[in-house]
Amino acid sequence: MEIIKVEGLHYSYYNRFPALIDVGLEINKGEKFAIIGSNGSGKSTLLQILAGLLFPSRGSVLFHAHELSEKSLKEKDFLRFFREKVGFVFQDSDIQLFCPTVLDELLFGPLQLGLEKGEALQRADEIMQMLKIENLRERPSYMLSGGEKKRVAIGSVLTMNPEVLLLDEPTSGLDPKTQVFLLELILALNEAGKTIVIATHDLSLVDELQCRVAVLSEEHRIESMGSAEEILRDEDLLLRVNLIHEHVHYHGQTAHTHIHSHYLFHRH
Amino acid sequence: MKNDIPLFLLNTPSSVPPERGGGKVNTSYINKGIESFAGILKEGYTQWESASQKGFFHELDTRVKVVFWLFLIVVISLKKEILPELGIFFTVFSLSLFSRINLVSLYKKIFLLGFFFGFLISLPSSLNVITHGEVLMPVITLSKAYDFLGYYYIPEVIGFTGEGLSVVAMLTLRVINSLSISFLILYTTPFPEIIKALKVLKVPDAFLIIISLTYKYIFIFARIVADMHLAKKSRLAGEVNRVEARNWVAGRIAFIFRKTQLKCDDVFKAMVGRGFAGEIKLYQYQKIAGRDWAVGFFLFTLASLFLWV
Repeated sequence: MEIIKVEGLHYSYYNRFPALIDVGLEINKGEKFAIIGSNGSGKSTLLQILAGLLFPSRGSVLFHAHELSEKSLKEKDFLRFFREKVGFVFQDSDIQLFCPTVLDELLFGPLQLGLEKGEALQRADEIMQMLKIENLRERPSYMLSGGEKKRVAIGSVLTMNPEVLLLDEPTSGLDPKTQVFLLELILALNEAGKTIVIATHDLSLVDELQCRVAVLSEEHRIESMGSAEEILRDEDLLLRVNLIHEHVHYHGQTAHTHIHSHYLFHRH
Repeated sequence: MKNDIPLFLLNTPSSVPPERGGGKVNTSYINKGIESFAGILKEGYTQWESASQKGFFHELDTRVKVVFWLFLIVVISLKKEILPELGIFFTVFSLSLFSRINLVSLYKKIFLLGFFFGFLISLPSSLNVITHGEVLMPVITLSKAYDFLGYYYIPEVIGFTGEGLSVVAMLTLRVINSLSISFLILYTTPFPEIIKALKVLKVPDAFLIIISLTYKYIFIFARIVADMHLAKKSRLAGEVNRVEARNWVAGRIAFIFRKTQLKCDDVFKAMVGRGFAGEIKLYQYQKIAGRDWAVGFFLFTLASLFLWV
């Protein structure tokens, strides 16, 4: 069942710099979907449009067959429905955490949705337990490490129990242990029925998630779409969109040049 | 991990969209915040884009432009007649035309600011209670004139005088001319170049680096604040009352303050890491080219001519 549909989408910043050109895609319920592309290709912009935070200059975005627009998101019932269904985790956790303490962060969403305080508190406790952040309960967000902030940012969205999770560069800047934790969390949430959409240029994440992939080119268009396996096998495509590169490389004492990606060749 | 998923997350609420309508939600403070900070970023890009194009004034050495700018401002302030001010106006207009700047966007800003900060502010001074002279446009007629012991006199008919209106025209033209030359420089010179060119006026390097850092961080923080508004918007499912909105804005101001302090520490560490030891040395300009001397001489001669007109 199709949950998100994007058709002929164009977006430009300040009406000057094109960020997305003629983008079209569909995301199904319960699916894992990745938008990949090099820096500046428009991944985060596309994700923000799917979250109803930016609005396309041309084209349309449908959520459960309802058009997402500035007008529709001003309607009380639809706004509540949409925000309850779609959770967005920003790349920079700092900007997402705006409440005095971690507990307030986790309570903000459910209280917005009109949940009773008791139920909201129970949700917050369960999420803290799942994310192993119970010890941070009363801590202000500026006193957290990068990994802790990411957990709290994800928790602040999960307490709203969204149907779709949009994650912008979820593993960026995290230590390997937190990355693994996050990967397992994403897989578990997907198994629990959540639709996962990520924007990333981390090819190993795409491989681990084995999701459907849309590749954005540096010209801000959808260059290709397919399964993780199909996309990751296509070296020409990955070279063309600047996700892998060719450089001098050492093996022991021997230097040679070959196409290089830490994921494709070294699997680390 | 799978076993740790709370039960409520496994319980998917109905996916049936609501009936449309249900009243409107007012989140204007969020949208206004996003728009205004996006406006700051857009203004920066517009200035940079316009300044990076090719044109007569664009290609002139920035030091010549900056000195000419200050000299013309002095000339504008010294002149007390309308004719030379009009001459200056048309000179700057021609320079903008030769520089192929978008004249509509440039003069829209100039006239708007000139109207508020020149015309409206100086208009009351053209009343005969301030500037004496022949009343051309009566406004109020009092029952009698008032004389305060010879110190101050309020005439029976209060109105705009011819002399007063010519002073208003003068002041408005001065403001418009000062804005025109300032905007011409801004539209034809990247901001960092203007800062560096201030070196010719012997502005200390430390001061220049503070101005350029400030300018840069306005954009960095504008982006952060715009993103914070987006993050808030992504979790807003309904109306927010005014008190909550004010609290949030206050909280964000505190956050930006903390972030500024942290950034300040980082920048200082980065400077130390690159050899900073208390003294700032900026890159020295090359010599001014012959063409720039010639154009500079022409511009200064032209501006000096207005002193004698």
